[in-house]
Amino acid sequence: MLGQESALRKRNSITKIHRKSMNNSILLKSFFAEVGSLSKFSGKFLSRFFIPPYEINELFKQCYVIGYKSLPLVGLTGFIMGLVLTMQLRPFMIDYGVESQLPAIVGIAIIREIGPVITSLIFAGKIGSSIGAELGSMKVTEQIDAMEVSGTNPFKYLVVSRVMAATLMLPVLAILSDAISLYGSYLGVNIKGDTNFNFFWIQVFDSLEFRDVLPAFIKTYFFGFAVGIIGCYKGYYSSKGTEGVGKSANSAVVVSSIMIFILDLLAVQITELLGFN
Amino acid sequence: MGKQIFNNIKLGIFILASLAFLILLFYMIGKNRNFFGSNFTLKSRFENVQGLKIGNNVRYAGIDIGSVNKIEVLNDTVLEVEIIIENKMKKIIRNNSIVSIGTDGLVGNKVVNITSTKLNAPLVKEDDILSSRRPIDTDDLLRTFSKTNNDIYLIAKNLKKTTFDFNQSNILWKLLNDNSIVENIHLSLSNLHSASIEINNIVKNANSIMDHIKSGNGSIGTILYDTAFTLSIKNTLNNVNNISNSAIKLSDEAKETIKNINYELMKGDGAFNKLLKDSITGVTITSSIKNIENGTRAFNLNMEALKHSFLFRGYFKKSSKKN
Amino acid sequence: MSEVNKNEYNHVSEETTVLEINHLYKSFGNNHVLIDFNLTLSKGQNIVVLGKSGSGKSVLIKCIIGLLKFDKGSIRIFSKEIRNLNATALDKIRAKVGFLFQSNALYDSMTVRENLEFPLRRHWIKLSQEKINEMVSQALTDVGLVHTIDMMPVELSGGMRKRIAIARTLILKPDIILYDEPTTGLDPITGREIINLMIEIKTKYNTASLIISHDMNCVKSASDLIIILLEGKCYATGNYQELKSNADPKVKQFFE
Repeated sequence: MLGQESALRKRNSITKIHRKSMNNSILLKSFFAEVGSLSKFSGKFLSRFFIPPYEINELFKQCYVIGYKSLPLVGLTGFIMGLVLTMQLRPFMIDYGVESQLPAIVGIAIIREIGPVITSLIFAGKIGSSIGAELGSMKVTEQIDAMEVSGTNPFKYLVVSRVMAATLMLPVLAILSDAISLYGSYLGVNIKGDTNFNFFWIQVFDSLEFRDVLPAFIKTYFFGFAVGIIGCYKGYYSSKGTEGVGKSANSAVVVSSIMIFILDLLAVQITELLGFN
Repeated sequence: MGKQIFNNIKLGIFILASLAFLILLFYMIGKNRNFFGSNFTLKSRFENVQGLKIGNNVRYAGIDIGSVNKIEVLNDTVLEVEIIIENKMKKIIRNNSIVSIGTDGLVGNKVVNITSTKLNAPLVKEDDILSSRRPIDTDDLLRTFSKTNNDIYLIAKNLKKTTFDFNQSNILWKLLNDNSIVENIHLSLSNLHSASIEINNIVKNANSIMDHIKSGNGSIGTILYDTAFTLSIKNTLNNVNNISNSAIKLSDEAKETIKNINYELMKGDGAFNKLLKDSITGVTITSSIKNIENGTRAFNLNMEALKHSFLFRGYFKKSSKKN
Repeated sequence: MSEVNKNEYNHVSEETTVLEINHLYKSFGNNHVLIDFNLTLSKGQNIVVLGKSGSGKSVLIKCIIGLLKFDKGSIRIFSKEIRNLNATALDKIRAKVGFLFQSNALYDSMTVRENLEFPLRRHWIKLSQEKINEMVSQALTDVGLVHTIDMMPVELSGGMRKRIAIARTLILKPDIILYDEPTTGLDPITGREIINLMIEIKTKYNTASLIISHDMNCVKSASDLIIILLEGKCYATGNYQELKSNADPKVKQFFE
């Protein structure tokens, strides 16, 4: 009885391994296929982007939905980030006797890396999923076809406007998030210490240079583009059915979050190459 | 439609707020780096700029007045540093001011300091080259610092050991705490004193005995009238005399020493410590005093023996009767 | 009424033919969906294409509206071959062809009013706001749902959504309306209401309709002519009575 059971388990495990390796090769293939079609999609975006008519009204509407409506979430996370970072750093700064450098350190950390990346990740979570789900459900319920029938290029109307809105709005959000984060940091400094508001900002600005701000600012455009294009891609090619919609929303968030980190890595290397660091 | 316009207004405010912060950020950075406002440039030459970078601050009397604009290598030993300075400083900086490179704090950024020499000179003009002072090399500073540190370390180590020994040394503490030593010394000295008086007496007696014998008074005198014997006795007595003299001297010296010890003990801290630092002195003093005591005791014993000797018994009796 | 239309069908004239499909072929890989399909639709005529699920009915109307490219043959709308039209010319034709999607395809993010305005603004960009408002309320009156004008599609019932979708199709005053399974997913009573609405529209605007359905109620009431699509071909053609009395078992299975 026992022997039978173990033999059965063994066979099961063998088939499992076999299936796994098959899955892996399929996964790899589908990964490359995905990269390929995503690149094609981006190319399509670029080619459609320059051809009129331009969907200006839709762009404004999407900017409002994607940018303005994300501000509370991004602002809240930014505020907490600044506050927590300051409170966590404080004991170490005191150990090294450089407590007075706290605003400078936090300022650089927030402006250079934490502000853009955390904001982008929150943005990817909120906007990537909503774009993916929205376009996915529009695809499933034939709304995209309906648009095409109604004399509208759905790619321009839906994809170009959303990608543009994401690209333009993320830097705006990141900058505001930086400001809110630094305000949180100011409060963090003031919980245990006592710093004048103006002096805090002077210390922050004093430690910053253009080479800190510019690359961080520019890379958020790329993060925004990545979130927009991946969300649209996943939604636009969503498979039929409600499950497909959920899947496209989910994978939009996952892929764009990974993409943000990859782009961040690229950005740091490019700034290094350009001698900005 | 109205809602759309309202949304666009909110969007506009949102974007403008962000833009305002971005502009503020750029403006503040630019202001710190003197990108705005009217400036003028000055130059100075250095052998070594100690890692000075473009954008580092320039200070005059500790106030930030500008920033480093350019660092150029003129030749293998000379570097030219160009600095941008606010225009208003044109009326303050004189062309005999000295430029040096320093550090903001111990580990901070490099800064260029312009120091006034307090001597009268014309004001600076655009593109003037100011003389420079060799910057304080942090490496050198640290090297010296390290050497000083080592010395301090050694001193502290010695001090620590001394203090430790001092605390551990029972003899020293005994010496310090024991009043009886002083009393003993006093006693010994008075003994010594009385002993020396007795020696004197003995010597006197011995001399008169010798005269007696020489003049051949009494039967025994004749028997004893032997020059050789007399000579040896004389020698003996001379020796005794010498001993007594040196004993007096010793007692004087001991008196002096004790006086000193007393003085030192009373005086306290400084000299007191000096004494304590050298534990050997203390031990020596103790042993010297002991030796003196022993010597005195032995001498007294000898004297007693001499009194009881049949040769001198009569003399001693006579002298005691006389006394 | 059906007598009249039948007569019209029998005497096809160039002026009244709005849609003509000749020798249409369409395949997805090895799956041949349409093989040599032919159809002629005249003004004021309702044709029902009857077929099993997956028989290629939806593919047919998506080919007509240009959402899918066909492989071979020709589709002529208002005597214009649509095969090689560019996007602008195709949009001009599409403005005259209404398409009622199976799932209604109402834009979830827009109100009913915006949903109805959308095709108007898209096709005729230069329209005054008053004119648009007038057309929207006209279309909503036609389907009897004026009160829903500022509601969102999710707040409406299935039947109401279908009506709004029809209103959106009607708002462009199309000459041809393509219905993709209009009664699917609705209860019989609501389905009946929708069918009546379709007939009403036809009489009111004299439109030609191509209806894709397998709902026999719909087929019986709304059709002037029925085409049975079987294995990619027009298997049988005729009005309801003719086909019902047809002895062919493959035709008979639809009417059981």
